[in-house]
Amino acid sequence: MRFAAERREFFQVLCQCPQHAQATHYARSTWPAWMPRLAFAPAKRGVRGDVLVVVFLRGAADGLNMVVPHGEPTYYTNRPTLAIPRPDDRKAAGSSRAVDLEGFFGLHPAMAALLPAWQEGHLAVVHACGAPDDSRSHFKAMELMERGLADLGGPASGWINRHLASLDTGNTSPLRAIGFGEAAPRSLRGVIPVSALRSIAEFHLGGEPEIAGLLKGGLAGLYSGDDLLAGIGRETLRILETVEQLDPQGYRPESGLPAYPASDFGAALRQVAMLVRAEVGLEVAAIDLGGWDTHFAQGASDGLMAGLLADLAGGLSALHADLADSLSRLTVVVMTEFGRRVQENASLGTDHGHGSLMLLLGGNVEGGKVHGSWPGLSQGQLFGPGDLAVTTDYREVLAEVCRKRLNNPAADQIFPGFTPGRAGFVR
Amino acid sequence: MAAGAGVAACSPLYRQLSGLPGPSQAWPSISLADFRGLSRLTYGPLPAERAQVLQIGLAAWIEEQLSPAGIQDEGVEWRLRPLDALRLGADSLSAWEAEDVILQLQQGALLRQVYSRRQLLERMVEFWTDHFNITMRKGDGWFLKPADDREVVRAHALGDFGELLWASAHSPAMLVYLDNQANLKEAPNENYARELLELHTLGVEGGYTQQDVMELARCLTGWTVKRHFWAGQFRFDNDLHDPGSKRPLGMQIRPEGQREAERVLQHLAEHPATALRLARKLVRRFVTEQEDQSAAALAERAVQALRKTNGSIAGMLRVVLLDGLAGARTIWGPKVKRPVDVVASALRLLGADTDGGEALQQALQAMGQPPFQWPTPDGPPDDSPFWSTNLLPRWNFAIALARNEMKGTRLDLPTLLGPLTLSSPQAELDSLGELLLGVPLGPPQRDLLLAALGPGQDPAGLPSLVTAGLLASPAYQWR
Repeated sequence: MRFAAERREFFQVLCQCPQHAQATHYARSTWPAWMPRLAFAPAKRGVRGDVLVVVFLRGAADGLNMVVPHGEPTYYTNRPTLAIPRPDDRKAAGSSRAVDLEGFFGLHPAMAALLPAWQEGHLAVVHACGAPDDSRSHFKAMELMERGLADLGGPASGWINRHLASLDTGNTSPLRAIGFGEAAPRSLRGVIPVSALRSIAEFHLGGEPEIAGLLKGGLAGLYSGDDLLAGIGRETLRILETVEQLDPQGYRPESGLPAYPASDFGAALRQVAMLVRAEVGLEVAAIDLGGWDTHFAQGASDGLMAGLLADLAGGLSALHADLADSLSRLTVVVMTEFGRRVQENASLGTDHGHGSLMLLLGGNVEGGKVHGSWPGLSQGQLFGPGDLAVTTDYREVLAEVCRKRLNNPAADQIFPGFTPGRAGFVR
Repeated sequence: MAAGAGVAACSPLYRQLSGLPGPSQAWPSISLADFRGLSRLTYGPLPAERAQVLQIGLAAWIEEQLSPAGIQDEGVEWRLRPLDALRLGADSLSAWEAEDVILQLQQGALLRQVYSRRQLLERMVEFWTDHFNITMRKGDGWFLKPADDREVVRAHALGDFGELLWASAHSPAMLVYLDNQANLKEAPNENYARELLELHTLGVEGGYTQQDVMELARCLTGWTVKRHFWAGQFRFDNDLHDPGSKRPLGMQIRPEGQREAERVLQHLAEHPATALRLARKLVRRFVTEQEDQSAAALAERAVQALRKTNGSIAGMLRVVLLDGLAGARTIWGPKVKRPVDVVASALRLLGADTDGGEALQQALQAMGQPPFQWPTPDGPPDDSPFWSTNLLPRWNFAIALARNEMKGTRLDLPTLLGPLTLSSPQAELDSLGELLLGVPLGPPQRDLLLAALGPGQDPAGLPSLVTAGLLASPAYQWR
């Protein structure tokens, strides 16, 4: 029960605080350490690997309409209004048909921007991929996936943070790992302090420069203690210093390349590219993309989900083109908590299902290929109330990415209780 | 533009009615334990509340707050007067601009947190708003949520849980948010049925199955919202309702139309797994995030209390608060303030005059908790590590507020400090520390802060810098 002990330790020291503070009758601005300093074996020294970008599609994205099994007749009988027409369906408008990949699967037409990456061998799909959990609860499934666990008994930290904690790359940059948004996602949480930021361009202390300068000095004093908030405060001050050296607004991809979408997601990817180019020590960026819980009016080739897919594919293809000369040290992972029911519901949407997919993008991805064994969509092949079965555990993919692309073989620490087996998703 | 409660309208009478700190009021010294307890029960303990706790004790103060009807609260009502969206029905609001409705509801929530004397009621309104989360940014939510806020959450926040659950299930805002208006016979939509079980009642480990979700969804077919006449009202449409028998959660449900789901609601409200889930959430919200034996024992006592009082929320809450906050304090564990706490407690403790308007709402958004906009049905997390990763917007809020650069909000630090103004930097800092943190800032941080801010400063500018420093300090981020 080592993990329960970690959780306990997390709060134990804190609980003694009021009495301490009362005894001295001062507010200790530094609370005693409330993060376990050493939850696992000491970090191993190692060489930095790729920049890892993890895109989490929140809400359970419908993998069946992203990478369409157009060679599967039951896909069409189950989705009379939501199915994406076959690439050779003459009755459907050309722009509404799936974009064929390899004869059986095709991309949703709103994802056609990713075709060049596919053709260059930089994009791979892992279909029928997911987690063993079958609660069909967004919140349980996301928590398990971000903590990299099969059940809730394991460590409270996230899998990415455990990767960072178990590999000492000698990189002390405050931008080693960042989460884009208002709070760092669960996967980044743990012993290594990680900050969330909405925008590098807006990452500065307010007020007139003179006042901000005075307060920076004050903040350095206030956050000089030894607890989680103090650690994060110091990291925040260091990020402020680093970011001052950058010119985020001036950053543009070369002319002629596809532009990043004018969305939060596009902005986040553009900033990732800027940080990669500025060589400020970025190792991991986590980006959330929400809105995938399409119970109602999901749409087919057009509509709600098509809009989300255009944002996703537009952003990824812009990043792919923008960082063309750095692809050998970039790996992007796109994942989601679970998939959606094969059969559409009465509200032109889909309910919670099981298997979905992962996308891998980068210079060392085994690309141009749909990985995983396809379980089929016929009666008897489906899982539970009529869901795509999971034939590849998501941890299989992530563990291989960690081992081969991030130079971190400590799968037992990153994914406790999981033994990676057959792989071949990246080189 | 939405009508706003203007700063200019704030006369000394308002201040008096809200019990805000005034010129000559010193803040009574209470124990740090009571300060921390009050920081959970209120949005920042005002001098008047400190004095009251000194006089009658925290336990008696909690008893008073558990019966909010007995607490005079005209001050806040006057401040809410310009906010028509708080009073109008969905049919009227649907003709408004969405942004105006959303802003007014947000303003109302913040003004109540800052100025209401029924502080525990507002804490529970926040709790249930999270528990039955609805975003105004999906579909018709923007004009449906005000009625849900008024008639579901506020009406039952300290009332009967069964009635609260019942009201929520019949709330058009909830039915639209979780797609139940699209839950039709023959091909049901499971969204609301699932979250009703997972989030509103039993919990994900509460022992239900996928089959139960599907059966409950069938019971809920036809629960929808009126479209034309009386738009935005609840409606049961028998034509859309699945006429067959159902078996959710081992119950035998015969065809009875609307009554079917209502039977299940009653069963869920009284289910032991629901009671345990609510008790754990209350312990987490008010007492500790640590999930150990003593926290579990406290939750168990709260479950008993809910049963004994036949579903009384106040009955369950009383046990959690008296045992967890006013008692021996062996269970208490620190919590990081959520953004609404950061903002409301600064305004309240510093006696700000505010309209609760756009500038503050933008600050809340930057910190990650714009009211009534959390997209997913789990509501904003009650989890200290989650709220610890984004400090910069908190610092920027501290600077803007302390330097009176927040539009629609005004601090009067010289009046607040009274005779202490310009006495000595240390005295100012210690006094503000007692006000904002319960105790002065500890020596190393105090000296470092003064060393950074003090020398060469115009003494008249120092109070605002010191206030900004204290609001941005790690100590202020806890409650």
